[in-house]
Amino acid sequence: MSTNAQIKEAMQAWESKYAADFSNERKKEFVTESGIPLKRFYTPLDLEAKGFDFLKDVGFPGDYPMTANITATGYRGKLWEPTQYSGRALPEESNQLWKKMVEAGTNTVYMAYDLPTQLGYDPDHPRAEGEVGRVGFSACSLRDWEIAFDGLDLNKLGLYQVLNGPYLFGLACHMAIAEQQGVSREKLVGIGQNDILKEHIARNLYIFPPRQGLRLVTDSFEFVAKNLPLYYPITVSGVHISASGATPVHDATVMLSNAFSYLQAAVDRGVDIDAVGPHMMFVPCFDHYSFYEEIAKLRACRRIYASVLRERFKAKNPESWKARWYTPQEGSSLHKEQYLNNIVRTSIYVMGAALAGSQTADTRAYDEHFGIPTDEAIIQGLRAQHIVARETGITDVVDPFAGSYFMESLTKEMEERVLEGLAEADKRGGGLACIESGYFRKIIAKDAYQHQRKIERAEFERVGVNIFRSPEKEDKPTKVYRTDPAVERKRIESVQELRRKRDNAKVAKCLKEIKGLAASPESSQNNLFPAVFEAVKAYATIGEICEELRSTWGEFQAPSALT
Amino acid sequence: MEKKIRVMLSKVGTDTHDRGVKIIARALRDAGLEVIYIGLYQTTEQLVQAAVQEDVDFVGVSSLNGGHMTIFPDLVEGLKKAGRGDIHVLAGGVIPQHEALELKQRGVADVFRAGTNTGDVVNFIKAHAH
Repeated sequence: MSTNAQIKEAMQAWESKYAADFSNERKKEFVTESGIPLKRFYTPLDLEAKGFDFLKDVGFPGDYPMTANITATGYRGKLWEPTQYSGRALPEESNQLWKKMVEAGTNTVYMAYDLPTQLGYDPDHPRAEGEVGRVGFSACSLRDWEIAFDGLDLNKLGLYQVLNGPYLFGLACHMAIAEQQGVSREKLVGIGQNDILKEHIARNLYIFPPRQGLRLVTDSFEFVAKNLPLYYPITVSGVHISASGATPVHDATVMLSNAFSYLQAAVDRGVDIDAVGPHMMFVPCFDHYSFYEEIAKLRACRRIYASVLRERFKAKNPESWKARWYTPQEGSSLHKEQYLNNIVRTSIYVMGAALAGSQTADTRAYDEHFGIPTDEAIIQGLRAQHIVARETGITDVVDPFAGSYFMESLTKEMEERVLEGLAEADKRGGGLACIESGYFRKIIAKDAYQHQRKIERAEFERVGVNIFRSPEKEDKPTKVYRTDPAVERKRIESVQELRRKRDNAKVAKCLKEIKGLAASPESSQNNLFPAVFEAVKAYATIGEICEELRSTWGEFQAPSALT
Repeated sequence: MEKKIRVMLSKVGTDTHDRGVKIIARALRDAGLEVIYIGLYQTTEQLVQAAVQEDVDFVGVSSLNGGHMTIFPDLVEGLKKAGRGDIHVLAGGVIPQHEALELKQRGVADVFRAGTNTGDVVNFIKAHAH
């Protein structure tokens, strides 16, 4: 067997032999999106240089440090769950679409809400005007859920709700429908986005000041840990961090920093780390255009997360060491020019998400730039997932890149840079301090600007956009989805009818209870969820519940400083 | 001394994706323009008021949510009503080509759709400032 000394000698001979070719490559420098230089070929020498140790750095799937995968069998045991973000304005329309998608091959309803819902406003609130149902499901009461989930069996379906500020409302609705359908809490499968910190950094759909937002998250952790064994009350985001411009190194750093902030808040309240750890999930970023780097990033993040949970948080349950990836495709990775190219981009993304060992995935649709997706476009995305899962054989081997000289070197490099970023955040007072000071926003804005310059100089090549452009005529899909503007009036009438028909004395009592708890200090005794659950079952609306919180805590006003 | 060109930038309503508008802001600043970014969740009324108060030369909104056929005509109208129809309105974001043309007919100075080079925005502003 060749020794490293022999390999080194052979490599030097190779470099001499091909020196002319090396100085004639297509670019002077090949770097990843984060700026990590890529060599043309990797060997055992690179692993030696990085101090790579197989058992310490990779080990075996399912075991610490989880680098290869969080389960021993990967996709041989269970394929990733294919899902597609979707929602239509009216409850009955969402119901129809979700039934269609279940038939097309998914077991998860990944709920896309309209913006008023995401901001905790009823359809008749002044701030909801023009936005009701435009980008998704307008859901302001349990009544809407009853219509939307009529004939959808929660024994068989998981739900993922993209709801952040008002998340407790969504959790309550899910549990209330489950009760109506006779699904036990032990069997209820659900996921909530509920990552309020990323709203304050990147996505900007916050409601309350950060401390109160965090209080609600801890409330949900506490409740889920005690009552819902198959539930994930949070998916900590890397994808939104990337979507606002961050490089892979930075989107991973901020994502992990936020995860640790959430866990620390729970621990500070006295929740056992091993009660919460098994319920953590992430929506990390995977961009098809930084293919190898993104795989290395997710491997590195699995390793870092396992290490921090075991060593810093002292988690004993191996389920707490696992970073679960619900990997979504980023809309900004698709383009409007030559839009059918997006189907190809989506397929590449799915391959990458699978090679990185995602537990669940979701794609954007080829008509991303023209509106919210048509039914056909959504299902096309699902098909991309089915094709990669069933036709390619990628799923036959767990972490096929394990041991690769290149991939292990790059994984180590990503790990080093992310750890550096986390250490820098700690030096600056910790994750929450970096949010409050605008430090994270500043890094992301800088990355965004650099990215734009590289696109404009075609240093980052994008087919149809800055290379291989079409003549001036723009092609667009024959069918584009537009929400019927009449839905706004329908939704307003619906909520006003609900308010007339329900037991308003009961609602008032429930809302008063919520307000009282909100005005009391944060604690396990003052956990808001049970009161929100009662209010939801009494048909209090999302706007009414959030108004109790808004009037008590105030709304978050972002500084408009240009970072 | 030549008066600096003043540009106000904003997001309107619940359209909170601010990556693009911040990139434009930085590019304009780097090109020597004075930029006032008033942030998220503005109404067109608030924006008109702010633009008049700050006496800017240009006001630009990045619209990614499909609300452009309301926002920009309202902005043009609002500035006229406030006696400042001379302030140029710039539109950016996700705007279909035919609607971009219509907006220009309705008084928007120019429309910079997603994918525009930041240099083009700078050049337009410098060419049209008086």
